[in-house]
Amino acid sequence: MLTQIGEALQNNSVIVMLNSTGWMAAGLEIIHYFSMFVLVGSIAIVDLRVMGLAGNQQSATKLAQRLFPWMWTALALNFLSGFVMFAGIAASYIPDSTFHLKMWVILAAVVFGVIVQWRVPVWDKLPSMPVAARLLAAVSLLLWVGAILAGNELPALSGLG
Amino acid sequence: MQGALVTFGDWLQHRSFALDVATSDWAYPFVQATHFTGLSLWVGTTVATDLSLMGLGNQYQSPFQLFNALFVWNWVGFCIAVFGGFLLFSASAATYVINPAFLTKLGFLIPVALILHIVIQTKMRVWGQQLQTPRVARVAGLVELLFWISVVTAAVSIPYFA
Repeated sequence: MLTQIGEALQNNSVIVMLNSTGWMAAGLEIIHYFSMFVLVGSIAIVDLRVMGLAGNQQSATKLAQRLFPWMWTALALNFLSGFVMFAGIAASYIPDSTFHLKMWVILAAVVFGVIVQWRVPVWDKLPSMPVAARLLAAVSLLLWVGAILAGNELPALSGLG
Repeated sequence: MQGALVTFGDWLQHRSFALDVATSDWAYPFVQATHFTGLSLWVGTTVATDLSLMGLGNQYQSPFQLFNALFVWNWVGFCIAVFGGFLLFSASAATYVINPAFLTKLGFLIPVALILHIVIQTKMRVWGQQLQTPRVARVAGLVELLFWISVVTAAVSIPYFA
């Protein structure tokens, strides 16, 4: 069933055109990489602030409110460009265990990012950041680095990407 | 000139650390992830500052306050990116030094973008105090943003010229 969906996706004429036209394929990669840098950089700064390692003289809430719009914009661009690249060889990606790992790590990282965004205004009102908040932010940061690593392992272990 | 670069590249990629990166199944992805993590900190913090200079998202804090919060991690990210980038380069240096996209990236785009970055950082105290930034600051932020997009474009183009 999933393989059939994958084959239908990768035979879709728009997907074929986007992935086989040189400048469009390069454009997708540029958007994917640039948005990944903005996404991970923005969330990393908020995580580091919660951990007490960045911008401690400033309100964590204000810093998060400033950076989260860029994070979500970058996530949307990253997801869209990534989906088109995935769709180009979907039938090969779908059964691949390294790809599954990458997707699970990204999903977990997004969930932790949402929790941090949701809780920062509450933690910020306390006299100091709770230990649980610092731990949560550290896990969030590690998950994003893990997502980058899983993405880099795909071509090394599976020959995909 | 090109001969000397190729000779240097050939010498570099035969150093033991470069051979380790190039031949290990695990080292290359780890080094690449190091480079990308550094770039995330560098590009993420730089783009946030540039957008702030362009007058975007300044309702919460001035561009200078944002710059202050990001400054240290901006340069930590740069150092990590350079470290990882050098190791990646060393793994196949002889082919990189004759690649037009790589030469454009390292020989032109990054030096110019870095000079602009440092100029912007030295001007932040003047440009970034008010929520409404001056016109020159908006232009500088936009130009720097376009330069870093060009750097990523050149980097993505490297395999197309290999």
